[in-house]
Amino acid sequence: MVEHVKPIQPTWCPGCGDFGVLAAIKKSLLELKIPPENVVLVGGIGCSGGIHNFTDAYGFHSLHGRLLPTAVGVKLANPNLTVIAAGGDGDGYAIGMGHFIHTLKKNISITYVVMNNETYGLTKGQASPTSPIGFEGNVEAPFEAVLTALSIPSASFVARGFSGNPKEATALLTEAIRFNQERKGFAFVEILSPCVTYNDTYDEWRAKIVDVATQPGYDPSDRAKAFQACLSIMESGKIPTGRIYVPEKRYPSLDATVLPNLAEVPVVEDVSLSHNRERYAKFLASLE
Amino acid sequence: MTETDSLTTGAHGSPGTAGQENKAHPPLKDLSFLTGGQGGDGTLTVSELLARYYHSQGLHIYTSRSVLSRIRGGYAAAATRVSVEERFAQKASHDVIIAFHQDAVTFGQKELGEGGIILADDKVVKAEGKNAFLLPLSLTSASKVGSPLYKNTLAYGALSVLLGMDRAAARGVVEKRFGRRGGDAAAKNLSAFDLGAELVTQQVGNHPVLTVEKGTATNEILTTGNQACAFGFIVGGGRFFAGYPITPATSVMETLMRYLPQFGGVVRQAEDELAAINMVIGAAYAGARSMTATSGPGFSLMTEALGHAGEAEVPIVIVDAQRVGPSTGEPTRHEQGDLLHSVFASHGEIPRIVLAPGYPQDSFNLTVSSLNLAEKWQVPVILLLDQALSENTTTSPRYDLSRVSIDRGALLTQEALDKMAAYKRYEFTPNGVSPRTIPGMKGGESQVTGNEHDEWGHVSVNVDNRKMMMAKRMMRLRLVKDDLPAAQIWGDDDRARVGFIGYGSTYGPIREAQAILKHKGISSRFFQARTLWPVPVDSLASFMETVRVAFVVEHNYLGQFGMLIREYINTRNLESILKYDGNSYKGIEIAQHVESTLEGRTYYEPKKVPKVLPEGEGGGF
Repeated sequence: MVEHVKPIQPTWCPGCGDFGVLAAIKKSLLELKIPPENVVLVGGIGCSGGIHNFTDAYGFHSLHGRLLPTAVGVKLANPNLTVIAAGGDGDGYAIGMGHFIHTLKKNISITYVVMNNETYGLTKGQASPTSPIGFEGNVEAPFEAVLTALSIPSASFVARGFSGNPKEATALLTEAIRFNQERKGFAFVEILSPCVTYNDTYDEWRAKIVDVATQPGYDPSDRAKAFQACLSIMESGKIPTGRIYVPEKRYPSLDATVLPNLAEVPVVEDVSLSHNRERYAKFLASLE
Repeated sequence: MTETDSLTTGAHGSPGTAGQENKAHPPLKDLSFLTGGQGGDGTLTVSELLARYYHSQGLHIYTSRSVLSRIRGGYAAAATRVSVEERFAQKASHDVIIAFHQDAVTFGQKELGEGGIILADDKVVKAEGKNAFLLPLSLTSASKVGSPLYKNTLAYGALSVLLGMDRAAARGVVEKRFGRRGGDAAAKNLSAFDLGAELVTQQVGNHPVLTVEKGTATNEILTTGNQACAFGFIVGGGRFFAGYPITPATSVMETLMRYLPQFGGVVRQAEDELAAINMVIGAAYAGARSMTATSGPGFSLMTEALGHAGEAEVPIVIVDAQRVGPSTGEPTRHEQGDLLHSVFASHGEIPRIVLAPGYPQDSFNLTVSSLNLAEKWQVPVILLLDQALSENTTTSPRYDLSRVSIDRGALLTQEALDKMAAYKRYEFTPNGVSPRTIPGMKGGESQVTGNEHDEWGHVSVNVDNRKMMMAKRMMRLRLVKDDLPAAQIWGDDDRARVGFIGYGSTYGPIREAQAILKHKGISSRFFQARTLWPVPVDSLASFMETVRVAFVVEHNYLGQFGMLIREYINTRNLESILKYDGNSYKGIEIAQHVESTLEGRTYYEPKKVPKVLPEGEGGGF
C-alpha cells in the first residue's frame, strides 16, 4: 500500500459539536462499506470547513461558499464517487445561499452537511444567518434552512440532526449517502453543532429539539404536512429535527438524467486520440 | 473607390444604372454587403444567406455583426465580406447595402463605395439615386406569401438577379436553411425568393449589376472563433464544461451543448459564473478535462476561483471572450481590454498561462494547447478571445486532426501509483509539477486545498515551506517557456521597415494593412503573438531586431500588451496603435496610421540593446 496523506488531529475546540459530525460521517461510510478512495469530502471555509483534513478520504478544500458547485463538478465528472460537501451555516446560508438553493434545484446525488452553530466561530463569534435576534447585536430574524429546502420543488431529502445525538445523526447521514448511491438526488442534512466557545447551546438545544416523527400522523413524504409540522414546532419555541421530508415521488436526479449509464464514466474516460480518432475525424468532416 | 479596394478588387467598372441596359462589368474579387434593419426582424438572415451562397461558390467569407444588446428593436446591421483572397477583417467600404431601416442608408451610404448599389424596402426606407433599387419587399411578402416576415428572403431573391447568382445554387441555400425548420418554412421562403427575383426583373430586367468572381476555397467550413474553440475542446479531450450565458461567449456553451454529449461529455449551464468555475474546478480535480467560457464581467466574478485553481494546482481552462468593459460596458461590442486583468487577476500570486488565437483555426488549435498546458503544468490557462473573433463568421480550412495531440502530463495511473513508496500531492519536483491522482484511485488520497500547504496537502504556515511552495508553483512560468505556442511571423522580408505586434482578431486587419503597405513599397513584418503570458521575451526581442519600428496594435486605451512588452524588453522602437470605440479595425485604418506616423520621420538603425533585462531589473521571473 502506498503511503499517503494521514488525517491530522482536528483543530476544533474541545467539546465542539463538529466532533460529533465528523464521527457520524466516518461511521456512516464504514457502515456502508465505502472505501476511502471512493469518497470525496469537500470542505468550505470556517471551523467546520476543515473537516476533510481529519479523514482519510480524498479531501478538497474549496472557497468560502463554493463547496456545493465544486462538489457538483466532482460528481458530474465521476458519478461513481460518493461526494459529501460539508460546511458551516455562514458558508452555506450567507455567501453560499445561491448555490444551496440551486443545488436543491439541480437535485444531484450528493450529500450536503451543514454544521449549524448559529455563529461565525472562526472569526470569533459574529452573528450568522441563523443567529437569533439579539445575538451579538443581530436584529434580523434568523434564516430557516429546512423551510427553504421544503419550498424547492425538486427537494428530495431534507433532514436535521443534532451532534449531541450522534446515533440519530449517523442514521440520517447513512440514509442520505445511501440515497445518493441509489442516484435518487440531493440529500440535505443540517446538523445542529454547538460552538462551545462563542455559542454554547448544548443544553438549550437538547431541550428544544423535537423529532418530527413524534408528531401525530407525521408523513415525511407529505410536503405540506411537513411544512405545517415544522412551523408549529417552531412557533412553540422548539426546533424540528429528524427525517423531515423524504418523498416517495420526486424529480429524477441530475446525475441520473445526464449520465444514465454508470458503467461508462464518460468524462474521466480515456480521452486519448488513439481511442477516439475515428469518431473525431467523422465529426470534423461533418462540419460545414 | 478607396485605395484598399483598388488593391483587392481590381477595376470596379462603371456604376450599375437602374432601369437601363447594363454593360458587362468585370467580376469583383472582393465585395462587401451591409444589411441593416430593425433588431429582431430577421435582417441578419439576408447576410447569412449571402454568406452561405458565396461560401458554396468557393469564396472566402467574413461576416461581422453590430447588434444592440436587446432582443428586439433598435438598429441592427451585419457586414458580409465576400472575397477571392482570405480576409479576416471588414472591407473599408461596402458595395451593396440592403436596407430595412432608414439608418442603413443614412449611415451606410457614407461607406458605400463607388459603383455600389442600394436595395431597400420602399415601405420604410427613403433613398435616392440611380444606384438605389426600392422594392415593395415587405408589402409583397405580406400580400403574396402571407406575412411580412419573408421580406428578407425576398430581398435575397432580388439580389440573386442583381448579382447574377447561380439561381439553382441560390435557391438551394434557401431550401437548406429553412428546410431544417420543417413545416412549410422552406416552401414559403422559396416562394419569397422567387417573388423577389421577379420584382427586380420587372423593374430592372435580369441583367446583373455587379458580379463576383468564382473562388477556389471549396473545402472550407463556415465558422466563428467560439465554435472553433468548442470543436477544439471536444477533440482535445474536453469532457466537462460549465458556463453562464454572457455575450459574446455564449455560443461556446451552445455549440458544446449541441455536440459534447455525443462524446460522453457533460455541459451545464450554471446558476452564475461563480458556480460555473467552481464546477469546472471540481470536475477537473475529479479527472475531467474541463473548461468554462465567459466575458469580462463573468471573468471578474471568477477571479477568486482562478486564484484557488492556481494555489490548489487544479488544471482548468477559462475562455474570456472580451467585450467592451468595464462593468456592463458595451456587451455586443469589440475590445481587448482584459489582457492585464487576465495576466494579473487574483489576489496573491499564481502561475498562469494566457493564450490568444488570431483566427478560427488558431482558436481550435490553441484550445487544444490550453487543455494540454493546463494538465501538463497543472496551472489555470486563460484563452483570450475577443468579440470579433468570437462571433464573426468566417471561412476556415477544415480542422486538422493530425495537428492535435493530447498530453495529460503527470497524471498517474493506478498501476504507476501502486509502485510508488509514498504519494504526496504536492511533492517537490525539479519542474515544480507533482504527480496527480484522481479520486477513485486507491492510495492516491490527498488533501487538495486553497490554503498554503505542505507536500501532503496539509495546511502549513511554516516559513521555509512557504518559500519552497511559492518557488514550486511560480518556477513554472519560467520552465514552461519552450512548451508555449510560438508566435507566427507574417511578412515576406527578413528585415523590414515596419513591424507589427498584435494578438487576437487584429490578425486579420494587420495582415490586410501589410498588403496595403507593401503595395506602397513599405515592407513590414508581423509578430502574431499567440502566447501573451508569460511574455514571449526571447522571440519578441529577436523580432525587434529585424524591424526599425514596431507598432503594437490593440483594442484598448492603455496599450496593455505594449506595457507588458516594455516591462521585459528594453526598446525605444515600440509604438502603440490603439482603438477602443467598440469596433474592430479595418486594414486601411492601420495602414493609414503607419503611413502618417512614418511621414517625414528619419529612422536610425535600432541601437543595440540587451535582448532581455538582467534578472532583478524588471526582467525574469
